[in-house]
Amino acid sequence: MQKINKNVVLALLSLTSLVFLLFQLYYYKFYLSQKNGPVFSKVRGSQSGQDSTRWHVVRKFLGLISSHNIPVYLIDPLILGLVDKDIEQIRSSPDGPNPECKYFCAPRDFTTFALLDKTWKHELGVFRTAEKMGFQWLKIINKDPRLDGMDDLSGIEIPLHYIFKLASHAIHLVVFYERSGNYLWHGPLRLKQHMDRKFVPFRKLHFGRYPGAYEKPELLLVSIDDIKVQIPKNPSSFLEEMSHSRFLECRYREARAFFQLYPDDASLDAVEFRKKAKSLLHLAALTLNNLGVKFWLSSGTCLGWYRQCNVIPHSKDVDLGVFIRDYKADIIPAFQKAGLPLKHKFGKVEDSLELSFQGEDDVKLDIFFFYEEDDHIWNGGTQAKSGKKFKYLFPKFTLCWTEFVELKVHVPCETLQYVEANYGPDWKVPVKTWDWKSSPSNVQYNGVWPVDEWDDVIQIY
Amino acid sequence: MDEWKPNPAIKPHKKRSWYLAWKYKLMNQRALRKLWQTGAVLFLLVTVIVNIKLILDTRRAAYEEEEESAQDYDDEMLNVEVPRHPVSNKKVLDVEVYSSRSKVYVAVDGTTVLEDEAREQGRGIHVIVLNQATGHVMAKRVFDTYSPHEDEAMVLFLNMVARGRILIFTIKDEGSFHLKDTAKNVLKSLGSQVAPFLSWRDMWTFVGKKGGEVYGEKHAKSPALSTWGDPVLLKTEVHLTSMEDAECHWPDTELNRRRKRFCSKVEGYGSVCSCKDPTPIEFNPDPLKDNKVFDVPVAVIAGNRPNYLYRMLRSLLSAQGVNPQMITVFIDGYYEEPMDVVELFGLSGIQHTPISIKNARVSQHYKASLTATFNLFPDAKFAVVLEEDLDISVDFFSFLSQSIHLLEEDESLYCISAWNDQGYEHTAEDPSLLYRVETMPGLGWVLRKSLYKDELEPKWPTPEKLWDWDMWMRMPEQRKGRECIIPDISRSYHFGIVGLNMNGYFHEAYFKKHKFNTVPNVQLKNVESLRKDAYEMEIHRLLGEAEVLDHSKNPCEDSFVPDTEGRVYVTFIRMEQEADFTTWTQLAKCLHIWDLDVRGNHKGLWRLFRKKNHFLVVGVPASPYSSKKPSAVTPIYMEPPAKEEGAVAVPAVAAAEQT
Repeated sequence: MQKINKNVVLALLSLTSLVFLLFQLYYYKFYLSQKNGPVFSKVRGSQSGQDSTRWHVVRKFLGLISSHNIPVYLIDPLILGLVDKDIEQIRSSPDGPNPECKYFCAPRDFTTFALLDKTWKHELGVFRTAEKMGFQWLKIINKDPRLDGMDDLSGIEIPLHYIFKLASHAIHLVVFYERSGNYLWHGPLRLKQHMDRKFVPFRKLHFGRYPGAYEKPELLLVSIDDIKVQIPKNPSSFLEEMSHSRFLECRYREARAFFQLYPDDASLDAVEFRKKAKSLLHLAALTLNNLGVKFWLSSGTCLGWYRQCNVIPHSKDVDLGVFIRDYKADIIPAFQKAGLPLKHKFGKVEDSLELSFQGEDDVKLDIFFFYEEDDHIWNGGTQAKSGKKFKYLFPKFTLCWTEFVELKVHVPCETLQYVEANYGPDWKVPVKTWDWKSSPSNVQYNGVWPVDEWDDVIQIY
Repeated sequence: MDEWKPNPAIKPHKKRSWYLAWKYKLMNQRALRKLWQTGAVLFLLVTVIVNIKLILDTRRAAYEEEEESAQDYDDEMLNVEVPRHPVSNKKVLDVEVYSSRSKVYVAVDGTTVLEDEAREQGRGIHVIVLNQATGHVMAKRVFDTYSPHEDEAMVLFLNMVARGRILIFTIKDEGSFHLKDTAKNVLKSLGSQVAPFLSWRDMWTFVGKKGGEVYGEKHAKSPALSTWGDPVLLKTEVHLTSMEDAECHWPDTELNRRRKRFCSKVEGYGSVCSCKDPTPIEFNPDPLKDNKVFDVPVAVIAGNRPNYLYRMLRSLLSAQGVNPQMITVFIDGYYEEPMDVVELFGLSGIQHTPISIKNARVSQHYKASLTATFNLFPDAKFAVVLEEDLDISVDFFSFLSQSIHLLEEDESLYCISAWNDQGYEHTAEDPSLLYRVETMPGLGWVLRKSLYKDELEPKWPTPEKLWDWDMWMRMPEQRKGRECIIPDISRSYHFGIVGLNMNGYFHEAYFKKHKFNTVPNVQLKNVESLRKDAYEMEIHRLLGEAEVLDHSKNPCEDSFVPDTEGRVYVTFIRMEQEADFTTWTQLAKCLHIWDLDVRGNHKGLWRLFRKKNHFLVVGVPASPYSSKKPSAVTPIYMEPPAKEEGAVAVPAVAAAEQT
C-alpha cells in the first residue's frame, strides 16, 4: 500500500507542479505583455478583451472631456501612425462606418491627447466627474517657464501633464501653452518626491521626457472606430515634427548671474542695435522658413542666447548656421526680395560656402553653411584680400528648439560643446575685440583658394 | 503539454478507475515504475527551479521598472516638502498682551504676533483677531483713535468681524482722545468694563470673544495730564473651540470651498464670510455684444492693501464684458492676504520680489507686471492696466470695446485711459463724449504691446533711478507727441486714501469729487472723430459754433458762464508759448480742478463742462486755435499768487494720483 501511496503522491505532486508551472508561465507572459505591450500581444491570437478595454477607456475619457466642453485633440503617435495610412479614406468619409476596431484597439498602454491651456480653466469639476466615472488621475505641475526669464516673479505653478487611468489603460493629457514667438510648448514630466512612481510606466510615455515646441496645428474632426475625435490635419507632418520637437529653455538663472558680473549695456546704442538685430532675425527666420531651409543660431548670436538670453549689444551682426544639404539656390533671391541685398558670397556649395546679407543700418546677416564629416562638422571662412581659407571645427550636434527674442528658433542641443568649440573655455567672459581669423579656438588654416577661382568664390557687392 | 491538463469534466470515480488500470499495469513492470518515479522526481526538481527563476525574474523586472520610472522623470529640484507644523491638539492658548506709552506687543503661545516699539508710529488702539479654533491671526489693525474719525473705522471693522472670533486690544501711547461714545459702547458690548471710562493717556489691554466670554482686561489710569498710565501686562488663557464651531455650514460647492478657505484665514471683509447670507463672490455680469476686448489681458497692479484689492476686484468682476480668465493680479511682495483675496475670486495672482525702494519699487513692479502679462498672453496686442485702488465702471469694457480699434489704427495715439484728470462732479457731464489729450492720465488704461516691447521695455528706468513710472512715461522722450483718448466722465474711480504719495487731505481735495460713470452700456458718440485729422475738424467745428464769453468778467466767478444748458462757450487765456501755463494753472485752481500740473490739454485747448455747458479754454497765442479769437477780445491773464510754500509742494505731490 505504501508504494502505491508513494506513486499517488508523486503523480499528484507532478500534476500540481505542472499546473503551477503553467500558471506561472501564463502570468509571466501576461506581465511581460503589459510591460512591452505590442511585442508580446501580437504573438497572442485573440486579444479582444484587452482591445476593447482601450477603446472603452478612450470613449469614456472623451465623454468626460466633452461633457465639460474641453477641446482636446489626439496626438498619440501610434494611433496617428495607423490613421496616417488610411488618411485619404478617413478624410473622404468622415462618418463612414468602421467594420472593425482598427485604431483605438491597437495594443498600447496609453492614449495621448493634447489640450490647449487657454481653452479651459476649471479643472476641479473635471476631476470630480472623472473620479465618479472610475478614473484615477495624476496631475503634474511645475514652474511657469513664461515667467522664468523674469527676475523675481513667483506665484504660479502651471499644470503640464495629466494622466487618467482606468482599468489597464491610461490617458495621457499633455497641456500645451502658447508662448511668445507664436508656437506651442509642452513641459517636461518630472515627478515630485511624494508622487506615485508606479502610477503608470512613465518611461513609456511619448511626451514628457523633454519639453517640446510645436507649430499651432490645424485640426480635423474625424470619426474613427465610431469615436469622433480631433486630429492634426496632417498626421504625418505632425509625427515628423514630433520627432524633432525637443525644446531647450534659455538658462535664465545663469544669464542673471552673468548680468550681475557684467551689467547690461542699457545705452541708447545698445537698445537700438538690439531692436535692429531682433527685427533682422525675425525677417531672416521668416524668409528661411518660407523656403523650408532649416537654420540655427550660430557664433555670436548663439553665444548671446546661451550666455545672456539676449542679443549681445556689441556684436555687429546676426549669425545663422545651415547644413549644406539644406542649401537652396533660391536663398539669395529670396533674401533680396525681402529687402536684404547680398553683401558678399565666399566659397562655393562644395566648399566653405558663406553668405552675407546687408540689413538696415549696417547690421549684417551672416549665413554659414556647415559640412558634415564622420566625426565632426565644420564651416569655412575666407579672407577676401588674400584668398586664404579657414576652417572652423565643431563636434557633432543635433538641433533643438528654443525661444529667442520672441522667436522659435533652432540651436544646437549640445550648446555648451558648440559654444566652447567656438569661443574656448572662457566664453563666459565678454570680449569686445574679436578677430574671426584668429580668435576662435576652433579655427584651422585651410589653404588658399586657387587664383583662377577667385572670381567665383570671392564675390563682394 | 496540453494533454496533461486535468479535465474538470471528469467525475472523481471515473478518475479512480483510470488510476487503477494504470496501477496494475505498473505493478507488473517494476523497472518501468522505478524509471517513472525518478522521472517524476526530476520533473519536480525542474519545476521548482524554473519556478524560482520565474519568481526572481518577475521581481527583478518589477524592480527595474520602478527604477526606470524613477530616473529621468525625477524633478531635479527635489522639492522637499517642508514639514508643516504639527497641528497642535492643544485646547488652550496662552495670550500675553502689553500696553504702554512706547511699546505694545501681543504673544500667543509664546509667539509674538504683534510688536510695535517704533517711535512716532502706531499710536492708538491695536486690534488683533484670532481664529477661535486654530488660534491663527486673522487680522491685525491699528486705529489711531487720538485722531478724529478713526474710531468710526474701528467700529466698522469690529462690526465686520464674525461672532465667536477672539479679539485682542491694546493701546499704544494714546487711544482715547477721539474715542467717541459709539465706539466705547461697542467695546462695552464686547464685554469690556473699562472701555466706557477710558481717558487721556490710559493704558489698556483686553482679550475677549466676540459675542461671548471675556478672557481678561487690565487698565492703568493716567495720574495726570502730562504723564501716561503705568505699563500693563495681561496674561490670560483662551480656550479653543472645535473647528466645526468656527466655520459656517455653506452648501458644498466650488465657490463655497474658496469662501471657506478665505474666511478661515482672514477677517475684516464683512458679509462675504457671513454664515447666513454671504455676499456672492461670483458676479456673472451681462456679456457684451461684439466684445472687442474679451481677449485683452488685464493686469492688476497691487501692493499690500488687501481691503482695497477686495473692493477693486469686486467692481472689476461686476463690469459688463469682463473675462476673468484674462485677469492676472501682480502683488508687489510676498504678502499673504492679497493673495488670499485673489484666490477667493478664483483669479490668478503672481508675487513679485520687491526691487529697490519707494517710487522705483513701484516702477520696477510695473515693468515686471507688464512683461509678464505679454509673456503669459503672447497673442495679445494690448493690455489693460489697473491698480488696486480703483473702482471700475460697469461700462469700462464697453467703453474700451468701442474705442480700442483707434489705438490699433491711429499711430498718433499713446494710450486709452479711463480717467479724465479734469472730470469732476462739476466739470464733467457727457458719458458718451471722448477727448484727445496730450497727457497720460493712467488710472485704468490700455497699453499697446508694440509700444511696450519696442519702446518702453528696453529703456525702462533701472532700479537705481528713483523715478515714477508714470512721470517717466509722460516725458517727451517717451510720449513723442502722441496723445491719449479719455472719456469726459471717468470709467474708473480712485478711492485709495493711503498710499505712497497719498493721504487723506490730498484725496479729499483732488479725488473725492471726481465724477464716475454708473450708467451701463453707454453708446459712445464721436469715436471716429477721435482720429488725428478728424479730431481737428471736430475742434474747428466746435470752435466755430462756440459763443465767446464776456472776457471782462472774472472767470472764477460763477456768473462768468451764463445759466444755460447744452450750449458751447469759449474763453481765451494768455499762453505765451507752448509751456506757459501760468494763467491756466490759476484758472484750474479757482475752478477746483487738477492744478498741480497741466493735464487734459490738446494743442493749448482744454475741454470741460460748466453748468452743463461745454466750456472751451484756448491758450493764446500758443494754441493753433488762437485764430478763432475775435480781434476785439483780450485774452484773460491771471497773476500767480506771490511766492508761497505751495510751490514747494508741487513736485512732491505731482505724482500723487498713481498710488
